[in-house]
Amino acid sequence: MPQKYISVTRRTKMKRTSEDGQSKLPDNTALKQQQLPAYRLQLSATGVLSCFFATGVFCLGMGIILILSAKSIKEIEVLLSLLTFREFTKAFLFTVSSCIQDVGNCAPFSKSHDGTPIAPCGAIANSIFNDTIILSYKLNSSIPIKVPMLRSGITWWTDKYVKFQNPSSINLSSAFAGTTKPPCWAKPVYELDGEDPGNNGFLNDDFIVWMRTAAFPTFKKLYRRLNRIQYFIEGLPAGNYSFNITYNFPVTRFKGEKSVVLSTLTWSGGSSLFLGLVYTVTGAVTWLASFSMMAVHLTLKDRKVSNAEIPESLPFLTFHL
Amino acid sequence: MFCSEKKSLEVERIVKANDREYNEKFQYADNRIHTSKYSILTFLPINLFEQFQKVANAYFLFLLLLQLIPEISSLTWFTTIVPLVLVITMTAVKDATDDYFRHKSDNQVNNRLSEVLLDSKLQNEKWMNVKVGDIIKLENNQFVAADLLLLSSSEPHGLCYIETAELDGETNLKVRHALSVTSELGADFSRLAKFDGIVVCEAPNNKLDKFTGVLSWKDSKHSLNNENIILRGCILRNTSWCFGMVIFAGPDTKLMQNSGKTKFKRTSIDRLMNTLVLWIFGFLVCLGIILAIGNSIWENQVGDQFRTFLFWNEGKKNSLFSGFLTFWSYIIILNTVVPISLYVSMEVIRLGHSYFINWDRKMYYSGKSTPAEARTTTLNEELGQIEYVFSDKTGTLTQNIMTFKKCSINGKIYGEVRDDMGQKTDITKKNEPVDFSVNPQADRTFQFFDHRLMESVKLGDSKVYEFLRLLALCHTVMSEENSAGQLIYQVQSPDEGALVTAARNFGFIFKSRTPETITVEELGTLVTYQLLAFLDFNNIRKRMSVIVRNPEGQIKLYSKGADTILFEKLHPSNEDLLTLTTDHLSEFAGEGLRTLAIAYRDLDDKYFKEWHQMLEDANALMDERDERIAGLYEEIERDLMLLGATAVEDKLQEGVIETITSLSLANIKIWVLTGDKQETAINIGYACNMLTDDMNDVFIIAGNTAVEVREELRKAKENLFGQNRSSSNGHVVFEKQQLELDSVVEETITGDYALVINGHSLAHALESDVKNDLLELACMCKTVVCCRVTPLQKAQVVELVKNCRNAVTLAIGDGANDVSMIKSAHIGVGISGQEGLQAVLASDYSFAQFRYLQRLLLVHGRWSYFRMCKFLCYFFYKNFAFTLVHFWFGFFCGFSAQTVYDQWFITLFNIVYTSLPVLAMGIFDQPLTGRGSTSNISQWDFLKRICQCSSWDPIQQVQGHPTSRKGNLVCPLSSCLCCFFFGCFCSTPGPPVSSVDVSDQSSMDYPQLYEPGQLNLLFNKRKFFICMAHGIYTSLALFFIPYGAFHNVAGEDGQHIADYQSFAVTMATSLVIVVSVQIALDTSYWTVINHVFIWGSVATYFSILFTMHSNGIFGMFPNQFPFVGNARHSLTQKCIWLVILLTTVASVVPVVVLRFLKMDLCPTLSDRIRQRQKAQKKARPLRSRRPQTRRSSSRRSGYAFAHQEGYGELITSGKNMRAKNPPLTSGLEKTLYNSTSWIENFCKKTTDTVSSFSQDKTVKL
Repeated sequence: MPQKYISVTRRTKMKRTSEDGQSKLPDNTALKQQQLPAYRLQLSATGVLSCFFATGVFCLGMGIILILSAKSIKEIEVLLSLLTFREFTKAFLFTVSSCIQDVGNCAPFSKSHDGTPIAPCGAIANSIFNDTIILSYKLNSSIPIKVPMLRSGITWWTDKYVKFQNPSSINLSSAFAGTTKPPCWAKPVYELDGEDPGNNGFLNDDFIVWMRTAAFPTFKKLYRRLNRIQYFIEGLPAGNYSFNITYNFPVTRFKGEKSVVLSTLTWSGGSSLFLGLVYTVTGAVTWLASFSMMAVHLTLKDRKVSNAEIPESLPFLTFHL
Repeated sequence: MFCSEKKSLEVERIVKANDREYNEKFQYADNRIHTSKYSILTFLPINLFEQFQKVANAYFLFLLLLQLIPEISSLTWFTTIVPLVLVITMTAVKDATDDYFRHKSDNQVNNRLSEVLLDSKLQNEKWMNVKVGDIIKLENNQFVAADLLLLSSSEPHGLCYIETAELDGETNLKVRHALSVTSELGADFSRLAKFDGIVVCEAPNNKLDKFTGVLSWKDSKHSLNNENIILRGCILRNTSWCFGMVIFAGPDTKLMQNSGKTKFKRTSIDRLMNTLVLWIFGFLVCLGIILAIGNSIWENQVGDQFRTFLFWNEGKKNSLFSGFLTFWSYIIILNTVVPISLYVSMEVIRLGHSYFINWDRKMYYSGKSTPAEARTTTLNEELGQIEYVFSDKTGTLTQNIMTFKKCSINGKIYGEVRDDMGQKTDITKKNEPVDFSVNPQADRTFQFFDHRLMESVKLGDSKVYEFLRLLALCHTVMSEENSAGQLIYQVQSPDEGALVTAARNFGFIFKSRTPETITVEELGTLVTYQLLAFLDFNNIRKRMSVIVRNPEGQIKLYSKGADTILFEKLHPSNEDLLTLTTDHLSEFAGEGLRTLAIAYRDLDDKYFKEWHQMLEDANALMDERDERIAGLYEEIERDLMLLGATAVEDKLQEGVIETITSLSLANIKIWVLTGDKQETAINIGYACNMLTDDMNDVFIIAGNTAVEVREELRKAKENLFGQNRSSSNGHVVFEKQQLELDSVVEETITGDYALVINGHSLAHALESDVKNDLLELACMCKTVVCCRVTPLQKAQVVELVKNCRNAVTLAIGDGANDVSMIKSAHIGVGISGQEGLQAVLASDYSFAQFRYLQRLLLVHGRWSYFRMCKFLCYFFYKNFAFTLVHFWFGFFCGFSAQTVYDQWFITLFNIVYTSLPVLAMGIFDQPLTGRGSTSNISQWDFLKRICQCSSWDPIQQVQGHPTSRKGNLVCPLSSCLCCFFFGCFCSTPGPPVSSVDVSDQSSMDYPQLYEPGQLNLLFNKRKFFICMAHGIYTSLALFFIPYGAFHNVAGEDGQHIADYQSFAVTMATSLVIVVSVQIALDTSYWTVINHVFIWGSVATYFSILFTMHSNGIFGMFPNQFPFVGNARHSLTQKCIWLVILLTTVASVVPVVVLRFLKMDLCPTLSDRIRQRQKAQKKARPLRSRRPQTRRSSSRRSGYAFAHQEGYGELITSGKNMRAKNPPLTSGLEKTLYNSTSWIENFCKKTTDTVSSFSQDKTVKL
């Protein structure tokens, strides 16, 4: 028995040593020898220049198209009063995400003085824009026709059907029982829309639009869309219009300004001239750069030809910013 | 800590032999060693403590703590803690593995067995169980387990031989002897067990060459010194056994006391990074202050209105306090300028580079099956910045193998191989070596290719016989027969070994010696010569002679030595032969061989007897003894008859010459620091082409006093400047150019100079006031050789250059004596595969052959540096672009520390979205160093493909060769840009680059490419500012283009697009795309991995974005993922894509323009330097610059290079002869020397080097 044992161990030992001897030689793989097939992409100056010209053409073209389309937008802006929404601060934003689900982060608008939780809580909800705007068209100088407006489709689908949800209950008022309305609201959340019972609670379109916080202090939010029926199939006909605005949202107190904008849309959305202008400028600058690069390159190229001292097979130095 | 406290108390050590109980009360350390840092229990606390001592980690911990304060928390906790935990864990795992291996090696050492005398019996004990006071038995070739007091040995007089290579790197044997009282104990266990001597000695210390103590035994006291002590780490040689008593064990041994803690090495980039991080932190604080002030003002002026808007009736907030909180909030938000992932990525990249070194087959030495090993993973990029290489000689440049190559006997040269035409040719594999199989005693490894010598032997040429007889007689070699009956030579110097072995193979076999006789087997017959006198070698004589009486009764003096010395002693009749031999010697020396001249003299009996009488008288003299003896030696060594000369090759390692040439072309200065003699060192210098006869001057500094040294240095400098001035006048053309460049490049010296300095002079030269002179001179010389230097001096020289020149240094060596220099240089390289491991263990990189240094530096080093710099540039750029957007946003959000991006994006940006492409670039990128036409060919396919999209002719480009060069320089950029806009989208990949155009080969072929690293060109403070500016510009574009575009707009369907969340998504998407395009531009070597990572990262970004904005994940974690539906809504808007595209173009185009113009208008300094070099040297590729094998050479000869004085004495005294070779009946010699004094003499001489070492040390201490 012991002999057998010894022979076994010896064999394994030998095997191991032979393996050791081999394993010390590193594998000859492309990865380990740093010889992975690779593209050393080396191009001449001409390559860069042609790319630049192409980029310039693209940007210029895009800029002109954008400017033209922005110009085609018809916008009517009605100034109401000054609004500098300093809507956007950290404290404010924190409350957005948690206004429905969680009252923990809603300070200072999470609970009313008597301790009942506020629904919806938070500063943004509290500061909801609650003016009502009715646009009337004076067909003949006497009869104003209320321009039909759609309140649907002004929110993101995900906001309406995923993000905001009403508490499940038979009727909303019982669902919100035990909560109180935000201090600045006239009506509780379940009575926001008297006309459409489905447009109440957290699923109120105006509420949802408001809760999608703007990125900057000055912002536009969609109020209503034109319902293209009757007189308005072709859009708003020329004529006299009047706004009937219920002024609920005070902006004078914080030296704000608000306005109502009637606008058409283009393929690129209701964009401003900015994008088109910047595109045009970028395109122009790229072209300018290309020309100057070409000029510099050509002059230096000539100079180099005359400099015969430099041996031909000079190694190329890679460069790096 | 515990131990050191105890040690500080120990003033003297008292040890009693064989009495563990007695010794226990002193609580001396036992023989167990710990080099490991942690145990399982202490790992976590100690490791964490260590890690948080790092500034970066502490900084991130601080940020984490800040984030826990709700008032200022602007990011969620996971943005910091996830990366931090990742980093800490990675480092901890690495530390743990390292420590595990230390534990393992500790265990291995601790579990070695040694024989300990316990209860009058020898018992096997593990090393760790050996206690102070134990008596242990050592056998031949065993490692010494602890510091022992030698008690007795197998050799007469209680002698034993040790090899101290592990301690001081010297490979020659040293003698230790026991006290005569204890040596009598012999191997008698019972007497040894009863030995109860008490040793009182010094406390543990690190002085290797000093020991003082007293042994009290049997009522008498014996003083002990270093000669009685064997230290741990030595190996017992030529001594079959010895007994010793343990004095110091384990951590108290001198070996362990000497193994100072390895200095933690950092690369210069690391140091630069530390500065930059501080600057960035300052920048961060500035930004924070600006924003905090903004916040205070805002609170003061607008805050009220804002609260009104919110119907927030809480009265006025303190605007100052609010500003203060905002400051900290912004510090948190903006912390990503120095992301923790930067440090992790750097480590990963370095690790990758280390693996490439380990995996490199071109650095694998099949001879010893040793691959190269990167033992440190943190220094790789420093390999690309080396300016000075300090190299050991023996075992590093040379193989430490001496081979008998050629000889000249009686005017006839042997050893050359001639072809049929009678022309000398190189020895190739075709040549058949001389067959020595007739001679059963021949050394199988010996090879000789010239058959004529063997023929001469067979023909019975008497001069050849005499020549070989001399080689067999005149030496200090000891012979031994191993168990297989084979003759083994114990040699003191490998030169002699080579000569004696040559004689052996040609039939003159040195068999054995006694103090009075030498037995040689001459062509099969045993001949015993009587050894009448032994005229030993010393540095002044540079020769050695023996006087023997042959069986016929003739007395002969055989002498070998340096030709310069010996030729003066020749008999006038030798003139013709002398000229011939001198020619041969020049030829040998020209080939870098080590030569010796060989001569003999017939003496008549009477003359010799008179002379011998005088010698005896001289020996008896008390004063002027040495001078008298020297005079007598001179007297008899004259009128010599020249026999010929030998040429021994100190075999250089393969490829040393090419490596040195190549490294010099890379502007790396190579200094040779060797313990060898001046002659040897110079010889090797010539052999490796470091010294050439074309050199303008070789300065040799060999002064013995400080004044002399200073004077010599001054003269050398004067000489150098004088010559230079006169020579540079001729170069008016270059003057202007030079002036320009010289402000940057210091070497104004035209012409090559070399400096040779010996250890003795170096000791003086390293004194503070002469130091600068030395350094100045040395740095202007092309080659510096320091000989006879101690390990400590090696380190001092390295430190000198390191500190005073501020240069990056590399030290390479193989032995324990190189450890100090390896440790003190920025990079230490050990030659592995040798017997001693000390150098390798202390090193940062190890490989088996010196020639791999070329690849390590020029390829791996250069690439690592290149990659690391690129990586850092990009990383800083990326994070500035990423983070500074918050600063601009601050002005639009009331400075409220609101983040622009989604929290998840901030968390994932650095570790997921952008980490892999930059890692891939940092690991795989290769500089584009095509070689003219070959690289152009590789462009072809791509050009053609591009042409399908654009319309220009690539042929023109390629053909206009030198002119298109600049265009090529712009390539990586332009190509990538084109690739991005055209290539990658509209064409299929072409064939891979041809194997001829391998980047590593061009790195080797054009060593000049190494220079940017030395000049620190690729990443420095200037570069950092450029990157920062680049990042700031990008952040501006990233923020203000979307801002302008989103200002007062609506989406395609009239819905929101200007809301915060859409803005965040647009910015984030733009950012990811911009930095991806940028990395695509920066990557110059696109492997599959780069493709996968870059495209993959963008794809990952979008998939994660859509996942996090999906309904499902919102349903699960509504609070964590509030961006539901955002990606879907925003990224389907054309307008947003137009914004993203515009942002990308606006961010990238100016960069490309600037780079393009930069390359055209102001090529880098390295370009200019290179051009100047090219113009001056008319540089050709290295291949055509093969070093010349033959030089018209001045003759050099050095004798017995590794030889030591004193062995002659040892031999004639017979003290080192085995008892089994009993001395024959009395000879003349018995009275030659006073037998009691030889040991002292010998020890004095052998410790010469050591004592100079100790002097240095004490001076330093």
